[in-house]
Amino acid sequence: MKTKCISQADLAALVADLAAAGTQVVAPVKSRDGRALDYQRIGRFEDAALGESALPRRSLKEFFLPTSEVLLRYRLKKQDVVIEEVPAAFPPRIILGARPCDAAGVEVLDKVMGWDYRDEPWFGRRAATTIVSLACQGVDGVCFCSAMGLSPDATKGADALLVPVGSGFVAEAVTPKGEALLGSRRFAEGQLPASVEAFREAAREKVAKNLPAQPAAFHEWLGKSFDHAAFNAVAQRCHGCGACASVCPTCHCFDIVDESEGLDCGARRRNWDSCATRKFTLHASGHNPRAGQNERFRQRVMHKFAIYPRRFGEVLCSGCGRCVRACPAGMDLPELLGQLFRDAGAQGGAR
Amino acid sequence: MNLYQPHLMTIEEVVDETTDTRTFNLTFKDPEVAAEFGFRAGQFGEYSVFGEGECTFCIASAPTRKGYIECSFKAAGKVTAALRRMSVGDTIGFRGPYGNSFPIDEMKGHSVVFIAGGIGLAPVRCVIWNVLDLREQFKDVTIVYGARSVKDLVYKRELEEWGKRPDVKLVQTVDPGGQTPDWKGEVGYVAAIVEKVAPSSKDAFAVVCGPPIVIKLALPVLAKLGFTDDRIYTTLENRMKCGLGKCGRCNIGPVYVCKDGPVFTAAQLKELPPEF
Repeated sequence: MKTKCISQADLAALVADLAAAGTQVVAPVKSRDGRALDYQRIGRFEDAALGESALPRRSLKEFFLPTSEVLLRYRLKKQDVVIEEVPAAFPPRIILGARPCDAAGVEVLDKVMGWDYRDEPWFGRRAATTIVSLACQGVDGVCFCSAMGLSPDATKGADALLVPVGSGFVAEAVTPKGEALLGSRRFAEGQLPASVEAFREAAREKVAKNLPAQPAAFHEWLGKSFDHAAFNAVAQRCHGCGACASVCPTCHCFDIVDESEGLDCGARRRNWDSCATRKFTLHASGHNPRAGQNERFRQRVMHKFAIYPRRFGEVLCSGCGRCVRACPAGMDLPELLGQLFRDAGAQGGAR
Repeated sequence: MNLYQPHLMTIEEVVDETTDTRTFNLTFKDPEVAAEFGFRAGQFGEYSVFGEGECTFCIASAPTRKGYIECSFKAAGKVTAALRRMSVGDTIGFRGPYGNSFPIDEMKGHSVVFIAGGIGLAPVRCVIWNVLDLREQFKDVTIVYGARSVKDLVYKRELEEWGKRPDVKLVQTVDPGGQTPDWKGEVGYVAAIVEKVAPSSKDAFAVVCGPPIVIKLALPVLAKLGFTDDRIYTTLENRMKCGLGKCGRCNIGPVYVCKDGPVFTAAQLKELPPEF
C-alpha cells in the first residue's frame, strides 16, 4: 500500500482544508479537566490531542450508532398519523486519530448491521465517514487487542493509518477513501524512516504481554461451555449497571422507544441499551428468560466470544480494555478470558 | 424510508376475545403496500402505537385470507395498554412480516395435531386456518386447546365453528377449577388432555404453542405418543425490539429468535440453553 509523510503543520493545514470544504473533523480532545480524552468535533487542529497515548473515554461507536437517534417523527391528526422521515444522507466527516481498536470495532459491527436487513442509518454514516487511525503505543496493562487478532497498529476498519515519527507522521492508505485523502497536496512523498517499524514492533510486544492470543476454535469450545463455573464466580460482582456496554466499541444492543415532543407529536428513537439490565429480556407477563445477573453477564461474554463468531466469523471485541477500566466492581474481562483460554486448551477444545 | 419505519394500518374491527384479550382486524392505508403485502404462517410483526412504542406479536390471521391481517393481544405493558384504548378507524404502525414460518408445504399430505394454551392459540390459529383453507390437502386435523378457565378461552366463535366441522376433531379443556356448571369440555391441563385424546403420530405433525409451561409439559407427552422431535413445531416469543437481527435482545444461545425463529422444532429447542 502506498505510503506518504505529513508534518504536524501540514496536518493542521489539512484539517483547515477539510473544514473549509464542509467536512466535519472529529479527533481525540482533552476533557475540560484535562484528565481524560474524548472523541469530539474540532474546529481547528490545535484542539486535537494527537500526542496523548490514553484511550478516549468512549469508543467511536456513537458516531455511527448515536446514543439516542431519531428514527422517525410522527404527528397525530385525529384518527390519522403522519410520519416524517428523517434524512438518510449524512454530512461528510473525517475521524482523525482514531484508536485502531475503535476503528476495528466499527468494521466488526458492519456484519450485524448488514446481514439480510441493511441498517441504513448505520451505513449512511459509514459511507460519509473517513476513519484515519493513529497507531497506538499500547495504553496500559488491560489492553488486549493482540489477543483478539488485532494489534496496536491494526488497519482493520481504518481508511488510512498514521504512525507517529519524529515531529510528523507516516501515512498509509488502506481503502480507496484513504487513498483519496492521501491525494491531498498536504501529504508528501518521502522515505520511510526505520523508526516507524521499531515503534510498531515495540507497541505490539507491549500489548501481547497482557493476554495470549485467543486459541483456535475457542468460540466453539465456549459455545459448549454454557455451564462453566467461571461465569457464576465472576458474575457475583456484577451490578448490572451496563457501564461496560456503553464504553464498548462493539456492544450494539439497542432499544426503540417513542418520546412525545408535544400533545400530538413526537419521535421514535433508537437508544443504546445493555444486556446487563434485568428489564432487557423481561416479558410483559413477568417471565424473564435471563432472570439472574449471572445469566446476564454470561450472555455478554457468550455474545462476544461464541455467538457472534459463530454467526459472523468475527469476535465481537477489539480488546480495548475499556470495560475493565469502567467497571465499578473491578470485573476484568481479559483475566476471565485468560482463564477460559487455559481451560479451552486443557480440555482439548482448542487446537 | 428506513427499515425501522412502519407502514400505517387502519383498525377495521375490534373483537373482545375475553375480558383482557382483544383482536384487531387491520388493513394497510397505502393501497400499494396492501397489494404487495404477503406473509407465511408463523411470521410476526412489530405493531406500534405512535407516542407509546412498538410491541411484537405474531400475525394471527392466515396467509390464505388476503386483504387484511389480524393480531390478538392482552393488555400487559405500556404499548398493549395503549392498543387497548384504540378503536375502529384509529391508525397503528406495522413493520413486518419478519422471521421464519411453519412448514405448511411439508405438512401437506399429513395429519396435523394442534396444541395450544391460553393466548398461545393466536399463532396456532394462523396455521389452523391456513390448513383448513386447504383442507383437502391434509389428513386428520386435531385441535387440543386449553385455558385457565372458561372465560379465558379465546376465539370462542371460531372454536364453535371448528367444533361443528366434521373434518376437525376439537377438544377443549380448562384447568381444574376453571370450569362453569354448563361446561361441556374437558377439565385438566392441556398436556394431560393430549395424553388422554392420544392423537396418532402416524404421518403426523404437531404444532404446539402456549406459555412456556404448556410447551415444556406437552413435549414429553408427544414423545410418548411417538412424535419425533423434528415433527413437533412451536413458536417462541422472546422480547424483541427490532425484529431484524440487530438489537441483540432475543438471543437464546446462538439463536436469534427474530431471524432463526420464531418457529422452531422440538429438536432445535433441545439444542438451546434454557433461556426462553
